[in-house]
Amino acid sequence: MRRWRRLTAVLVAGWLATGLLLVGCEREPAGEPRAGFAGLGADAGGFTPVTPETSLRFPEDHGPHPGSRLEWWYLTANLRDAEGAPLGIQWTLFRRALRPPTAPAAGTWAADQLWMAHMAVSRGADHRVAERFARGAGPGDAAEARQAGVTTAPFRAWLDDWRLESRGEAGTGDALDRLVVSAEAGRGEAAFGYRLTLDAEGPLVRHGEGGFSQKSADGQGSMYVSQPFYRVAGEVILDGERLPVSGRAWLDREWSSQLLGPGQTGWDWFSLHLADGHKLMAFRLRGGGEAGGDYLSGTWITADGETQALDGEALSLTPLATRSVAGRELPVRWRLTLPAQGLDLEVSARHPDRWMATSVPYWEGAVTARDRHDGAVRGEGYLEMTGY
Amino acid sequence: MLEFRRVHKAYATPQGPLRVLAGVDLRLAAGESLALMGESGSGKSTLLHLAAGLDLPDRGEVRLDGRAISSLAEPQRARLRRERLGLVFQQFHLVPSLDVLDNLRLQARLAGRESPGWTARLVARLGLAGRERHYPEQLSGGQQQRLAIGRALAPRPALLLADEPTGNLDETTAGEVLALLLELVREAGSALLVATHSPRVAAPLDRRLRLSHGRLGEAPP
Amino acid sequence: MSPLGVALATLLSHYRRHPGQLAMLLLGLWVAGALWSGVQAINASARDSYARAEALFDADFDRLIPGDGRPLDRRDFVTLRRAGLPVSPILEGEVETTSGERLTLIGIDPLTLPGDSALASPGAEGGLAAFLVPPWRTRLAPETLAALGLARRAAPGATPALAGGQRLPPLAPTPALPPATLVMDIAAAAELLERGEGLSRLVVPADALTTAPPGYRLVRAEQRLAPGELTASFHLSLTAMALLALIVGLFIVQAALGLALEQRLGLLRTLRALGVPGRSLVGLLAGELVLLGLAGALAGIVSGVGLAGALLPDVAATLSSLYGAEVGNSLRLPWHYWLGGLGVVLGGLLLAGSGVLWRAARLPVLGLGQAQAWRTGFQRQLRWQTLAGAASALTALGLWAWLAARPPGEGLVVAFGLVGALLLAGALWLPPLLAAALAGLGRRMRHRPLVQWALADLQLQLPRLALAMMALLIALSANLGVGSMVGGFRLTFLDWLDQRLVADLYLRPPPARFDEIDAWLAERPEVAERLATAGGETSLLAIGDAETPRQPVALFGITPGDAVRPGWPLQATLAGREAAWRELAGGAAFVNEQLAIARGIAPGDRLSLAAPGGVERLRVVAVYPDYGNPRGEVLLATPQLRRRFQAPPGSLGIVLADGAAATPLASALRTRFALDAAALRDQRQVKRLATGIFERTFAITRALNALTLGVAALALLATLLAQARERRRRLAPLWALGVPRGRLVRVQLAQLGAAALATGLLALPLGLAVSACLVDTINVAAFGWRLPLHVFPGEMLLTLATALGAALLAAALPSLALWRTPPRALLAEEAP
Repeated sequence: MRRWRRLTAVLVAGWLATGLLLVGCEREPAGEPRAGFAGLGADAGGFTPVTPETSLRFPEDHGPHPGSRLEWWYLTANLRDAEGAPLGIQWTLFRRALRPPTAPAAGTWAADQLWMAHMAVSRGADHRVAERFARGAGPGDAAEARQAGVTTAPFRAWLDDWRLESRGEAGTGDALDRLVVSAEAGRGEAAFGYRLTLDAEGPLVRHGEGGFSQKSADGQGSMYVSQPFYRVAGEVILDGERLPVSGRAWLDREWSSQLLGPGQTGWDWFSLHLADGHKLMAFRLRGGGEAGGDYLSGTWITADGETQALDGEALSLTPLATRSVAGRELPVRWRLTLPAQGLDLEVSARHPDRWMATSVPYWEGAVTARDRHDGAVRGEGYLEMTGY
Repeated sequence: MLEFRRVHKAYATPQGPLRVLAGVDLRLAAGESLALMGESGSGKSTLLHLAAGLDLPDRGEVRLDGRAISSLAEPQRARLRRERLGLVFQQFHLVPSLDVLDNLRLQARLAGRESPGWTARLVARLGLAGRERHYPEQLSGGQQQRLAIGRALAPRPALLLADEPTGNLDETTAGEVLALLLELVREAGSALLVATHSPRVAAPLDRRLRLSHGRLGEAPP
Repeated sequence: MSPLGVALATLLSHYRRHPGQLAMLLLGLWVAGALWSGVQAINASARDSYARAEALFDADFDRLIPGDGRPLDRRDFVTLRRAGLPVSPILEGEVETTSGERLTLIGIDPLTLPGDSALASPGAEGGLAAFLVPPWRTRLAPETLAALGLARRAAPGATPALAGGQRLPPLAPTPALPPATLVMDIAAAAELLERGEGLSRLVVPADALTTAPPGYRLVRAEQRLAPGELTASFHLSLTAMALLALIVGLFIVQAALGLALEQRLGLLRTLRALGVPGRSLVGLLAGELVLLGLAGALAGIVSGVGLAGALLPDVAATLSSLYGAEVGNSLRLPWHYWLGGLGVVLGGLLLAGSGVLWRAARLPVLGLGQAQAWRTGFQRQLRWQTLAGAASALTALGLWAWLAARPPGEGLVVAFGLVGALLLAGALWLPPLLAAALAGLGRRMRHRPLVQWALADLQLQLPRLALAMMALLIALSANLGVGSMVGGFRLTFLDWLDQRLVADLYLRPPPARFDEIDAWLAERPEVAERLATAGGETSLLAIGDAETPRQPVALFGITPGDAVRPGWPLQATLAGREAAWRELAGGAAFVNEQLAIARGIAPGDRLSLAAPGGVERLRVVAVYPDYGNPRGEVLLATPQLRRRFQAPPGSLGIVLADGAAATPLASALRTRFALDAAALRDQRQVKRLATGIFERTFAITRALNALTLGVAALALLATLLAQARERRRRLAPLWALGVPRGRLVRVQLAQLGAAALATGLLALPLGLAVSACLVDTINVAAFGWRLPLHVFPGEMLLTLATALGAALLAAALPSLALWRTPPRALLAEEAP
C-alpha cells in the first residue's frame, strides 16, 4: 500500500489547493508527477468559483458542492474523561473533484469525486491516526449506494463506516444541530475510535462576508461556515479501554474551487472555545498578503452567535517557540492578541506530537489558551498547521 | 661444480632390491667434459638422473654448485634444472606441438634468459636454417637430435647432461652431431657429462670413467 | 613471457596440432552449458512470471464470496465497506486482441486496494489521477505489447483497438506486471467488459477478518494454490532433464580431457625435466581448464538463452493449459541466472577434469616408458566401476524400497534420485560388461585370427570408448524411458478423451440463459440426451471423522445418463460400476485420482465439504482418472451439485439422436440464441483442442530428449575422430601383413557397430526401468495421476537403430579417411 499511498497523497494533496501544492510540495517524494495538478490552479475550467456574491442556503449547502473543486466537513473536539483528563478527537471528510460536473458520465464506478477521511484520537503522548479513501460517481447516482458521500435530508456524511450524521427529527432547527459522529480503526488491542453525540447550543456562524472567507489579498477565497457551539458526550475507545467523555466540539464547513493564491505556502488556523462563552476563529496564511506578507483573518463570535470579522489590524498572531516534530520545525506556542477585545493570549499545544502522518501530512492538535498577564486558563481549542 | 659423494642407489623390484650405484664418487669441474661409460643397464642413466635432480640418492650426496641436491625441495630442484642444466635425451623428447624454433627456445624461455643472437647462431650452427617453422616429425633423426642439443644449450647451461646423445643415429650422423655438440659446449662454456657405451663418443672428451657393478673406475682412453 | 606463460603456451600448443580435441572439449562444454542454461532460463522466466502473478493485487489477500453463489456487484462492495469491512473490488475478464490473442483484463480500485501492490509503479505519466479518470490508463507488462501488435517505443499512450472494436485506455508499460494481463481502473474495466456494476470478487487483507459477514464465505489466501506450487513439479522435471544433458555433455568433456592428457604425458614429463615444477604444471592444467571452461560455458549460456527463447512458447503454452499459469513468451533473466549457469558449467568441468589433474599431479618424472601400464590401470578401473555400479544399483534398490513404503504421490525428488541411480548403475556397469563380453568372445574366436584381433583391438580401444558409450547408454535409456512414458500417456489420454467426450455438440451458454436453452433443446426431436454440467468451488473439511486442513477442491457436475455411463472410465468402485452410477444419481460422489492420491481417499469414505447451507457430507463411491487436471475434484450429478452447492450451470453436452446432423442444430442454436463462436463447439473441435494441448505439453520433453541423444552421438563421433590417426597406425601392421583395406574398414565398422548394439541392448531394460519409474512414481507425484506401463516394441527397435546408426555414422568418417589413406602412409605415420 505504501506506494499507492504516496500516489494517493500527491493526488489528494489537492485539498490544500493548487497554490500550496505548487509552492509547498518540496517535501513530496521526488519524481512524482505534478503535471496532473499543475493545471488546476490556473485553470478553474468547468468548476464554479466562489465569490462574495455567492449566497448560502441551508440545508442544501450542508451537502456537497460538486461544482467546487474542494470541500470538507471538519470536526474537532476538546474532551475530558471521567477523571477530567483531556482528550482530543478529529473527524474529517474531504471531497475533491477529479473532473468537473460538466464532464461526460463515466459509469457507476467513475472516480469523478475523490473522498478522503481522516480520524484521530489523542491523549497525552498518544496520537492515533487513520485514513481512508473512496471514489464517488457524479450526480444521478443514488447517494445511499455510495461508499462515501454527504446527504442533506437527513444530514449524513460518511466514508465506509465512519459517519457524521443527524440524529434529530427533521424540521427542528438546523440540520447540523443534533449529530452523532462515530469512527473506529485498528484491530484488537490497537483499536481506537469514538461514538459521540453533538448538540449545538448556538447558531451556525458565517465567516468573512456572509460566508465568503477571503484567503489572500488578491481575492482568492472559500465559502466558510462553522458550528462552534457543540456540547459533546459519548465514548472514546483507546488502548482497549472505553472511556466516557464529554466536552466541546467545533465543525467547519468549507468549499472552494481555488482556495489559495499562488504565493501561499500554508496556514496556521486556530479555533478556540473561550471560558466566557466567546468563540474565536483565526488563521494566518503564510504569503499572499499585502506586499507578499502573511494574510491574517478571523471571526470573533459571541456566545449567542453574533460575529465580528477580524482582519490584520484587529488580530495579531506571533509564534513564540518552535519544536521539532516529524523532522520539521513547528511553532507550538503562539501569542494571539485582539486589541479591541482586550485579549492577549498565549496559545500552546497540549502535546507537540500531533503530526498527522497521512497522505497529506499536517499538524492538528488541541491547544490551551492562557492569559499572557496572569497565566490563567482562558480557553481551549484546536490548532492546525499546514505546509511545514 | 658437480660432485657425487659416496652415492648409493637401489631400485625395488619383484625379485628384491636392485643395487645400481654402490658408493659412487665423482667430481666435474666447470668447463670440463666427462664421458661416463658402461654396458647397458650399468646405471649410467640413473647417475645422470641423480645429477639432474630428477631422482634422489638413497645414501651419499650429490652436490651441484656446492649445494646438496637432496636438501632442495622439488620446486628448487626444478629451478636448478631450468637455470643451470641442459638435458639431451636419447629419445630427444621434443615437443611435437611446437615448431623447430619454439622447441629450440623452449628451455631458454623457461629459464627466462633467451638470447636472440645465440639462438640464431644455434639455428645456423645446427644446420636448421630454413626449417624453423617445421615440426619435429618433419625432421630427420639427426636433425631432431641436433634440435634437442640446441634446446639444451640455448640457455647456455652451466652443465649439459647428455644420455646416449647419438644412440639413435647412424655412424656418420653420430659423428657429425658429436662434433657439433663438443664445439657448441665449448662455445657456451658449459661443463659436459655424457653417458655412452660408445668409445668413439667418449674419445674426444677430457676424461672418461667406466661404471660397472655400481662403482666408477678409470676407463681406458 | 614469464616461464609460466611459456609453459602454458607450450601446453596449449597441443591443441593447435589437434584442433579436433579442442573442438570436442568446447563442444562438450557448449552443449552441456546450452542445454542446462536453456532449461534454467525457461525456469527462471517462468518463476519470474509466477512471482509477478503472485505479487499481483490479490494473491496474498483473503476473498469474500457470496454464500449462495449469486454474482457479486457494487452493492456488495458498498454494503460491506459501509459495515466497516476493508474489502476492495476486483473485476476480471478476458478481452481478445485483433490478432486473436486472449488477454486477462483486471479492473481494480486503487483507493481501497490493500497491500503493496505490484501495479503501483509510479512511473507512468499522470500517476494515479490519470489512472482514475477518463480516458484512464492501461497498465501492462512490456512483453504483452506484442499481443497488441505494438513496438515498445510506440506503446506509451497508444490506444490499440480490440477484436470487438473497443479501444484500450492509453497504454502505460509496467514491467512488474505478469504477462498477458491488462490492469486498469475498475471503471474502465467495467466499461470495456460491459459488466455494469458486476464484480468478479472482493478481496480483504489477509487475516483482517476472523469470520465472514452473514451471507458470505471467506476464502483464505493460503487455501488457494499459487501457480509456483502447482508447477514446481513440472519445473523439477525440466531441471532433471537438463541435468541429464549436462552430465552427458560432461562425459564428452571428460573423454576429451583424458585424451588430451594422455597424448601430452610425454610433454608433461619433458617440461618437468626442463625444470617446470610439478605443482606449476598442475596449476597450469587447471588454468587451461578454466580458460576452456569459460569459453565453452559462455558460448553455451548464450546458446542456451537462444534455445530457451525457441522452447519457451511451448513451455508457456503447456503451463497455461495444464496449470492455468501465465508465463511470458519472452525471457526475463535475473543477474544470478548468468552467474549460476557459469558456476554450474565450470563446476561440472572441474569435476570432470579433477581426474585428469589428479593424474597429472601424481605423474612420475621418470618412468618414461610404461606403455602397457594402461592395461593394469584399466583393469583396476573396471573393478572399481563394477563395485561403484553395484553401490549405485543398491542405492536404487534402497530408494525404490523407500518409495514403495510411502503413500503414492510423495517423494518426487527421491524418485528422480532413483532414476539417476538406475542410469548411473547401468552406465558404470557398461564397460565391465563390454570388457567381459569381449574377453569371452575372444577366447571362442581363437581359430579366426582377424576376428580375434578385432576383439582384442576393441578391448584396447575400450578405455577411450567407454565414456562415450556410457553417455550413449544414458541418453538411449532416458530417451526410451521418456518415449515410452509419453507414448503410453498419449494412448491412455486419447482413449480417456474418447470415453469422456460422448456428446456431439458442446454448448457453453450464458448462465442466465442456461435453463431457457435447456428447455428449448428438450423439445427438439433430434436431441437424444442433454448432458448438463455444473462447476463450483468448495473446501474439503474432513474425510470420515478426521478433520483435515481446509483444502480447496473443484466441484464438477455431470449428467449420468445412458450416453455417459457406459464409457466413463472408473478406476475403483465401492460395489461395481452399476451401483456406483446409481448412487451418483442418488447423491453420492466420485473423486478424481488426483484427490484420491493426494488425500488418501478410497471408495466408501465420507467427505465433508463446505456448502452454502453449512456442511455437506458425501459418500465416495468411485475414483475416476482425470488426466490434465492439476486439481483435486469431486464429481456429483449435476442436479445434486446445483441444489446442494447452489452451483451455477456450466456447459451443456448435446447427444444427437441416431441419424441427426449436428450442423443444422448448431446453426439453429446460434441464430435462436445469438451465441458467439466460442459458446458452441462440436466434439471434433474439442478433441482437437485437447490433443493439441497434450502434444504441446510433451513437445519440450521430446525436444530435450532428442537433443540429449544427439549430444551422445556427437560424443561418440568426437571420441572416434580424436583417435582416428592412432587407429590408422594400429591398422597399418595388419595391412602390411596382407589384410586388404576394404576388410579393415569393414572390421572397424563391425567393431563399433557391435559395441553400440551391445550398448543399445543394455539400454532396453534400463529404459524400461526408467519408464516404470516415470509412470509409477514421478508422474503420480508430479501430476497426480498414474498411467499403465506401455511397452512399445517399435520404440525399442528405434532405440537399437539409433545406437547403431550413431555408432556407424561416427565410425564412417574415420573409416572413410582410412579408405582414402595410401597404405604406405599408414606405416610411415609416426608416433607423435
